[in-house]
Amino acid sequence: MTTSFKINLRRGMAVTGKWKRNRYQVERLLGEGANGKVYLVQRDRSWYAMKVGADAVDLQSEINVLQALAKQEKPGGRSRQDTLPGGANGEPFLIDVDDLYGPDGREYSFYIMRYVRGVTLSEYLSQNGKEWFPLVGLNLLNKLAALHSKGWVFGDLKVENVLVADYGYVELVDYGGATAAGRGIRQFTEIYDRGYWNAGSRSADAKYDLFSFGVLCLQLLEPKRLQQLTTGLPQNRSIEELLQLSKENETLKPVSEWLHRALTGDFWDAAEGAEAWRLLMHRRQLRRRSDTPGWLKGLAAVSAVLLGVSVYWLLRGGL
Amino acid sequence: MKQILLITDGCSNVGVSPVVAAAHAKAEGIAVNIVGVLDYGDVGELGAAEIEEIARAGGGLSRLVNTRQLSQTVQMITRKTAMQSIQLAVQKELKNVLGNGSIEALPPDKRSEVVRVIDELGETTKLQVALLIDASASMKPKLRAVEEAIHDLMLSLQARQGGSEIAVFHFPSSKYGDDCMMDLDWTDNLSGVSSLFPKLQMNGTTPTGPAIMHVIDFYRRGDYGRKSRDETDGMMSDYVV
Repeated sequence: MTTSFKINLRRGMAVTGKWKRNRYQVERLLGEGANGKVYLVQRDRSWYAMKVGADAVDLQSEINVLQALAKQEKPGGRSRQDTLPGGANGEPFLIDVDDLYGPDGREYSFYIMRYVRGVTLSEYLSQNGKEWFPLVGLNLLNKLAALHSKGWVFGDLKVENVLVADYGYVELVDYGGATAAGRGIRQFTEIYDRGYWNAGSRSADAKYDLFSFGVLCLQLLEPKRLQQLTTGLPQNRSIEELLQLSKENETLKPVSEWLHRALTGDFWDAAEGAEAWRLLMHRRQLRRRSDTPGWLKGLAAVSAVLLGVSVYWLLRGGL
Repeated sequence: MKQILLITDGCSNVGVSPVVAAAHAKAEGIAVNIVGVLDYGDVGELGAAEIEEIARAGGGLSRLVNTRQLSQTVQMITRKTAMQSIQLAVQKELKNVLGNGSIEALPPDKRSEVVRVIDELGETTKLQVALLIDASASMKPKLRAVEEAIHDLMLSLQARQGGSEIAVFHFPSSKYGDDCMMDLDWTDNLSGVSSLFPKLQMNGTTPTGPAIMHVIDFYRRGDYGRKSRDETDGMMSDYVV
């Protein structure tokens, strides 16, 4: 939507920050967000992601959110694994902020963040199988929970803004929609928006993210049918339509009750949602364990009896 | 903050030029945004050029979209222009203080402070948006999408911390001789408003310029009404279109 943003950094190009003089070598374009383009860059043999902004003020606004989060991170120094945004190994998320001169001679502002070697959620599931869905979902909820506990709402939660690395490790990218609780959501995408589905306001609260999470599940597993729902009349769009989809999908069926609670705002925040999700996964595993075949149970019973008999004989022999 | 949001699909063909009218609005401190709705036919090269020029004269933004993108565009453009107005005001202040107008020229840490103030003001400053809807014959099939977009905009504005109000006008008026007609006076709530444009009689002219002038006048009288309301004993200026 942004007009006249045509910055194009090519592979091998060297970029030097105007203020701090850090040098970055451009490798390739990683993606494009609402506020700018993201490139893979290299400095001192380390990989980073560089976001170049179309508008310095818009990008600064996003940087301010990241800085506020980083500041909240420091005091206490508790290193919970899923604190945010950032690494399991304590690496900060936001690394550098500066301006650069584009190939067109104009100035652009940029920031450097940690590079997550991951793929988008939908790619991850199609590459590694749907059985990863419950775990990835839980990890994502934990990420959101960490944000919520600090008084922030992610806002623009969608498939494209979630990167998944090996073993279902989840990272949120593009904080352009991140909003302090109580304010108007700064950036959103229609089909993930609570207001779009006539299901509530556009004010930033933790429940807003949980609603988007619910739609995200549908987008992952029923993309075509979800798309179909958006072609109807706006006044007919409702949570019921979304829930119907979840009930008819094999992978989503077990969590359809959970989705109902998320879409209707029944969970207070993502921490409560994550806890319920975890219990759900746990219960499913327990059920599966009780599904052990009959012959195995029989075998177990026989060996128990044999053990009893041999202990008896041993004791008797010892006496 | 005051805005006029014009939703149209073609060229104006009667009365004062909409570019002149938009410049008038800007002089009154009202930013003019325009969304051109494209599907079913085309605004043409002339229309596209006019739309861009109206926005430039009115200190606002312009977009050409199809009806499916209308809601998203309307709320986005309103937000962007509001932020831009704040930014301009802050920039003006900076000019006096630093002798340097541009926020972009500040070093990152100072810029961060300034942008924090802009964001804060953008969220909390009162915002009024007068929607001006082209209801000429070719717009008829798009009016449902327009109504949806207005409801959607209200939803976004209600989420702001500052007070927000919208008013809705359409043009040309079905009454002979009127350029513009008010459908909805300033409100911060659309619940209960089921249909904004009942039974419009379309006629051929598109007096975009005169309609903008009309809305500027509405703003002016509204301000006057408010002032006199504060000063006298709560007498509302009963402005009827």
